[in-house]
Amino acid sequence: MANLATRWAPLRLHWRLFARSMAAGEYKTLLLALVIAIASLTAVGMLTERVQRLLLGQANQLQAADAVLVSDHAIAPTAAQLAQQYGLQTASTATFPSMVSFGEQTSLASVKAASASYPLRGQLALLPPAQNATLRSGEALIDARLQAVLGVKTGQTIQVGQLNLTVSGIIDREPDAAFDFSSLQARLLISEADLAASGLLGFGSRVKYRLMVAGEEAQLEQWQASMKPKLARGESLENVRESRPELKQSIDRAERFLRLAALLAGVLAAVAIVLAARRFALRHFDTVALLRTLGASQRKVRAILFSQLLLLAGFAAVLGGALAWLAQTLLVWLIADQLPAPLPAGTLWPWGWASLLGLVLLLGSAGPILLTLAKTPPLRVLRRDLSVNVHWVWQYGITILAMVGILLQIAQDIKLAAIVGGGIVLALASVALLSYGVLHLMQRYFKRGSPKIALRQMLRQPGLLLAQLAALTLGLCGLWLLTVVQNDLLAAWRAQVPANAPNHFAVNIQPEQQAQFSQLFVQAGLPQPKVQPMIRGRWVLHNQQSVKPDSYAEPRARRLSEREFNLSWGEEERADNQRVQGPPLNQQQPGWSVEAELAEQLGIRLGDVLTFDIAGMPVSAPVVNLRKVNWGSFRANFFVIGSEVMMREQPSSAISSFYLPKTQPQLIPDLVRAMPNITVIDVGQVLAQVESVISLASAALRLVFVMCVLAGLTVLLAALDTNEAERRREAALMRSLGASTRRIAQIWWLESLFLGAVAGLMAGLVAAIGAWYIAYSVFNLPWLINWALPLYSALAGMALTALTVGLRLLALARTTPMLMLQAD
Amino acid sequence: MIEVRNVYKHIDTGSQSLTILHDIDFSVPAGASLAIVGRSGSGKSSLLALLAGLDLPTQGDILLQGNALQALDEDGRAKVRGQLAGFVFQSFQLLPELNALENVMLPLELAGVADAEQRAAHWLERVGLAHRTDHLPRQLSGGEQQRVALARAFAPKPAVLFADEPTGSLDSATGAVIADLLFDLNREMGTTLVLVTHDETLAARCSHLLRLQAGQITEWLAADERTLLETAV
Ligand SMILES: Nc1ncnc2c1ncn2[C@@H]1O[C@H](COP(=O)(O)OP(=O)(O)OP(=O)(O)O)[C@@H](O)[C@H]1O
Ligand SMILES: [Mg+2]
Repeated sequence: MANLATRWAPLRLHWRLFARSMAAGEYKTLLLALVIAIASLTAVGMLTERVQRLLLGQANQLQAADAVLVSDHAIAPTAAQLAQQYGLQTASTATFPSMVSFGEQTSLASVKAASASYPLRGQLALLPPAQNATLRSGEALIDARLQAVLGVKTGQTIQVGQLNLTVSGIIDREPDAAFDFSSLQARLLISEADLAASGLLGFGSRVKYRLMVAGEEAQLEQWQASMKPKLARGESLENVRESRPELKQSIDRAERFLRLAALLAGVLAAVAIVLAARRFALRHFDTVALLRTLGASQRKVRAILFSQLLLLAGFAAVLGGALAWLAQTLLVWLIADQLPAPLPAGTLWPWGWASLLGLVLLLGSAGPILLTLAKTPPLRVLRRDLSVNVHWVWQYGITILAMVGILLQIAQDIKLAAIVGGGIVLALASVALLSYGVLHLMQRYFKRGSPKIALRQMLRQPGLLLAQLAALTLGLCGLWLLTVVQNDLLAAWRAQVPANAPNHFAVNIQPEQQAQFSQLFVQAGLPQPKVQPMIRGRWVLHNQQSVKPDSYAEPRARRLSEREFNLSWGEEERADNQRVQGPPLNQQQPGWSVEAELAEQLGIRLGDVLTFDIAGMPVSAPVVNLRKVNWGSFRANFFVIGSEVMMREQPSSAISSFYLPKTQPQLIPDLVRAMPNITVIDVGQVLAQVESVISLASAALRLVFVMCVLAGLTVLLAALDTNEAERRREAALMRSLGASTRRIAQIWWLESLFLGAVAGLMAGLVAAIGAWYIAYSVFNLPWLINWALPLYSALAGMALTALTVGLRLLALARTTPMLMLQAD
Repeated sequence: MIEVRNVYKHIDTGSQSLTILHDIDFSVPAGASLAIVGRSGSGKSSLLALLAGLDLPTQGDILLQGNALQALDEDGRAKVRGQLAGFVFQSFQLLPELNALENVMLPLELAGVADAEQRAAHWLERVGLAHRTDHLPRQLSGGEQQRVALARAFAPKPAVLFADEPTGSLDSATGAVIADLLFDLNREMGTTLVLVTHDETLAARCSHLLRLQAGQITEWLAADERTLLETAV
């Protein structure tokens, strides 16, 4: 028993020191910094993760499944069996064009035969809204256009192939409508069970088969991985992000926004921890001295000090985790009605990463000092000979390295992390230079009175001054990026999707139909839609080499290269099409303008010669420029645009994008009846998805922002707290030496205004320029530098530091020098 | 018990080299009490630090109960201190976040004593603070804090007690009470005492006296001479 007690005695001592120091408020600042850091990073991480999952889930509704296998022939049953073995749900559809008739009226329609489980994601909505839109054998669901063309009512019977089907409802929305580009004008949904009896398959009809799969992410990935090598010719796995560039762009952007916020919160939290941890270490001089005097070995001292750090980290992890969970639960509850669906559950990974970051920063910034402290002869410590020399590599190297590693993990985007990291280094370097220059210049002019004392005080400990300036600058800069800038970025993003963004595309408009097409809109009182030429071409040669899809490693690139391209001519530059490389096309000379991202994926460079097969004739020209396309504009956009001289005489049809208000449902049936060859594609749902991504991202960001502001404020507190005790002792000394409170106040005001102005100015400048760079290179958003920000920032910085001086002066007015000298 | 042979201490202050202790040579037997006196800045605290192995001499040897301090490393000296020495400082040096009892327990726990709590409580009772065990240092007066420090110093039953102006921060009445307590406990425990003081009456209560001036011994009185002096008076 006694043996056991002896064995546990040291641990009891560690715990007691920790518990007592906590109770005495010794670890207040550090604990606060750690808890806020862990809480904000965890909350941001969890929220980001959950929102990302929701976004993906929402996007998946557009394909009515989580993953889809598309094929031009019937899919072997093994694929579905495999999915079921993985515990996934399956559904299948077959889509093909067919004539549909009702009495005398006939119309070409896109028929979709679906299994009973269709759709796996999203809902099949009927008009008027019905409880359960189930597909039964012998029944058909038709869309409003087919209803208008045929003049049929629910309950009446229509003929499709050899089938007689009862119209059981009118389709309002099919989740995956935007994916059926093969879809012709009208739509008809039947049960898969009737397919065989219809007699519609078989005589070489163009049928597109889809196997839809839904379930847990891990199982989905397994299924996709095992399907990939088995894909036959004509089969491909589809991913919603790849299929809809406008959605991919908006989800990518939303993710980057959230990551940027998480990254900044991480940096802020890290700075707060580093500052507080240093102070923690320096405060332990007396304890170390006493322990060494009382005969504790270095190992023992190290054990005691590090057990304090570990206990602190553990405590902070628990508290921070709980706080984060509470915060994000509360926040999610607050925005619940803005969400298109309940947020999926998150994982504990963000908490793990945040706790690790906290621990590493704590050990990294306090550890080296504590280790050196444990080695220092006790007398030096008793004499308060505070020159603990720690090599800077040892002191900061580990911390910085660890920070970079973990921030990269959070950012998962080297470019974003590099910009933020570079911005920090730049900000710190310019703050150091600026303050050094200004202080030395001021020293020349102020040779008397309070300014002189203030200057001397600041220059006496340049390291401390710089640390404070750095923390203030980073804190303010982070706050600006998160508030003003994020808001502006979001606004810029929103502005990209105009209020009346086109929600329909019309393709296959013949040259002689263009006038009639426009006329219909004018008659309906709508603005004339923009019409652009569209020419089909197959990419055959790249620099005289034939294009081999198999040579592209990336599946997306392979698919893009296989596909028939839609080419156009005319406008190559607009608000949503910006040239990034190369001169404008000379319309009198052959040349191509290629979308930049496509060019990158297919390895196309400026000057490369591309050859397209257009209606059997090769058309060759060099690539003259690269464009960035903002798909969010929802206008007809082209990967490849040629110059007029090459394209004018090519056989073409036209494409148009237009906004159709809900109040004009008649226009499409009219249009289709007048010009049956035209295909109208409704992208309203994609547009709605993009809009919901944006509003979800903004809602999430507002929450994240709350946590980030907390982190930022903690940094500012920690920065101003670094020499609060010395300041107070100094004041007491000056007072006991007879300096008036006014004199002390003057000195403090001067110092604080300098600190606030320099840090604020730099923070504002870096935030303004950083925002421009981030907008330009990460988000592809048009952006103007906000030159007023540095000014506001300097004012805010001064106000903040002045506030702390005000508080300090209040304390000074209330206490005697004696009390102040005693209190530490 | 304590042997000091030809000890010098130089300090490099960057520009110049200071000699703060000059050819110190003496020895004190076990159970004796040594008063180190001298003007401020004469090197008293520096000498005490050397005797306790808190610092190393530039030259010369110091033996603490047969342990050659300079031959040991930092941890070795710490171990010797842990086994042999107790400390009382002018500024008390209690850990502010631990209460009175826990402060007294600290050296016992560091030494791995099993019944640390009972022994600490016993020693607090000995210094008359049985009713203040769970008070924090800042809740105690200076005299009470120094009592806690005395209890902490005696609790591990050290062979030597090092005291650097233990009454220096206290008023004369409180100082006298603390001094009485110190000498009583010292006699009872048979501890060797090394006491740095400004106070000549306190110094007079010790068996040995060492006077420093600018780092050099200017007066040395050993036990037998003192008893002679005392009987003569
Ligand atoms: N690390 C050091 N650096 C510079 N000088 C030192 C150092 N340590 C001691 N000294 C000097 O050595 C001399 C002796 O110092 P010490 O503290 O031993 O004096 P003291 O006799 O204890 O004085 P007091 O009675 O004021 O406590 C002083 O002049 C002091 O300034
Ligand atoms: Mg002294």
